[in-house]
Amino acid sequence: MDTLRVENIRKTFNLSRKQRKIEATDEKRKIAVDAVSFEAVPGEIFGLLGPNGAGKTTALRCIATLIRPDEGDVFVGPDSVLKTPNLVRKNIAFLTNELKLEDHFTPNYLFSYFSRLHKVPEATMLKRREALFSRFGIDKFQEVKVADLSTGMKQKISIAISLVHDPHYIIFDEPTNGLDVLTAKTVTDYLIELKEAGKVVILSTHILSVVEKLCDRVAIIIDGRLTALDTLQNVRSLAEDHDLETVFFDMVRESEALRHA
Amino acid sequence: MHSFWQIFKKEMVRVLTDRRLVLMVFIVPGLSIYILYSLMGMMIANQLEGVQEHRIVLYEANMPDAFRSRLLARDEANDRQRLNLDIRALEDIDEDTMTAQLLSGDIDVVMIFDPLFMDAINDADNHAIPEVFIHYNYGRQQSSFGYNQVTQVLMAFREDILIDRLESPEQYLVFMTQTAPVVDERQLTGQGIAVLMPMLIIIFLFAGAMSIGPDAIAGEKERGTIATLLVTPIKRSEIAIGKVTSLAALALISALSSFIGILLSLPRLMQLEEGNTNLGIYGVSEYGAILLVLASTVLFITGLVAVVSAYAKTVKEASMLIMPFYFITLLVGLVSSFGQDPIQMPIVHIIPLYGPVNLLSGIFIFEWSMINLLIVIVSSLLYTALFIWALARMFNSEKVMFQR
Repeated sequence: MDTLRVENIRKTFNLSRKQRKIEATDEKRKIAVDAVSFEAVPGEIFGLLGPNGAGKTTALRCIATLIRPDEGDVFVGPDSVLKTPNLVRKNIAFLTNELKLEDHFTPNYLFSYFSRLHKVPEATMLKRREALFSRFGIDKFQEVKVADLSTGMKQKISIAISLVHDPHYIIFDEPTNGLDVLTAKTVTDYLIELKEAGKVVILSTHILSVVEKLCDRVAIIIDGRLTALDTLQNVRSLAEDHDLETVFFDMVRESEALRHA
Repeated sequence: MHSFWQIFKKEMVRVLTDRRLVLMVFIVPGLSIYILYSLMGMMIANQLEGVQEHRIVLYEANMPDAFRSRLLARDEANDRQRLNLDIRALEDIDEDTMTAQLLSGDIDVVMIFDPLFMDAINDADNHAIPEVFIHYNYGRQQSSFGYNQVTQVLMAFREDILIDRLESPEQYLVFMTQTAPVVDERQLTGQGIAVLMPMLIIIFLFAGAMSIGPDAIAGEKERGTIATLLVTPIKRSEIAIGKVTSLAALALISALSSFIGILLSLPRLMQLEEGNTNLGIYGVSEYGAILLVLASTVLFITGLVAVVSAYAKTVKEASMLIMPFYFITLLVGLVSSFGQDPIQMPIVHIIPLYGPVNLLSGIFIFEWSMINLLIVIVSSLLYTALFIWALARMFNSEKVMFQR
């Protein structure tokens, strides 16, 4: 039962007049996620691949209980995001660029603060902090205010803080965005470690190389709908050249053709 | 309730360790009030002194010696009766020049007596009532002050002449009066304090909450830090309680800074002796009651500010949306300052803001009841609970938290 099941979720948003103009549509509501279902299991990295604005982040926000799906449900282990969101929050790590850390505080302070909110015992917190900070090279900056740190360091601190409670379900949205190659590698290596530790890891990205390198199974999401859901190998085989890029571009083109039909 | 305390502590640390915020929220309000009120006091004192020390330029025609000697006696007096006079003869000045000089301030007062003034006084039966024309410029403080002073001397002069004409002074007096006033010094002083303090208290509390509330809630929304908090398993009601109580504590400290500013500048503003602000007239029960009113009212105010801030998308919008409530608070303060005696009817005390201000006015003049105090506390806490409930719902609403 320690899988993460997304069951037929649908999420729509009201479009403001300005947004309607930008998107060149008369529709007052936009379907951000439409009938999306998948299941991520322990010991794998599940990739959610899609172009910008495809609905990846919306789907992840539904999983992370920040927003509620209009239809369908998400089960994080036995817990439903609709019925028991607080139980879900206890067991997930959620990272997205929308979630920021307060600039005024130091990594040390924030780690303790979020540990206490998660009711992590003090001794465990200290041990975990030491391990995560040294793993990500934060230890030298632990008493520097977040405001004074580089983008890469901030991202690594965000990752460390999302893991204060050692959750079983890891949901990372574009974790390597804006990071230099070295920092990105630290993050991707750590994701592999989490997978090997038997965690359920969901990774959303639009960078194909990240998917190829990390993911065991992939879901491609375009215009809010799943267009593929399979192992990385099977998805690749959808193209004659077995190249994920070809599969992805074919799907995007198909969807664009449908939209303009 | 463990998590509420974590939020409370974090909010306190956030403000108390930020030098810029400490300066803006705790130092600047008190310091600016102190400087402003002290300057106002000094300017009022200088103005009063300036008028009193001004040498009154009095032009006269036909002034009888008897009256002149009275004026000169005042000029030579050493006490507060002293009139600084420069009496000159009105000879070659025509009326237009005189008016021009009165307007320009070169002349303060002109007194023109009938040429046979003393003859008419001494032989009233065979003369018409004599006249004194007094010219002055009531648009100038020095001239008005001079006019008042010389008129007082003139009235005393007329009284003495009248008493002389009568056979005995008792005839003039007609009847005697004796007054035996009683006063409760504490109540008298309290009334002075009650005019200003309740208004200032409510305004300072609101200003304190307003200076930190928008940043603590709308600011967190704007910066995306609230979302990080919302994915933790902490109950939304605990976030709301933590935010409101910490803001209340900070608003109280900020208001306290303003009070220190007031207390230090009050003697100068009210022209009192240094250090004499008379707040020692209140006892433990009054101070206890004031503290309870403050604590419950600040919770109400921060609850209101927090809900408005949570609704707003940005700090700027929050500050703008709070303004109407600030104006209402100013209005409530003004009504209590310039209104009648505090209303004792219990039902009045459930009115938000007005109830506490009305009760404070009562406490300051020693006219308050325990039941009204209880009503203020209970109703404020109920309103605060309502705000916290609304705030918790807002934290749960993706529309309020995430829609831009």
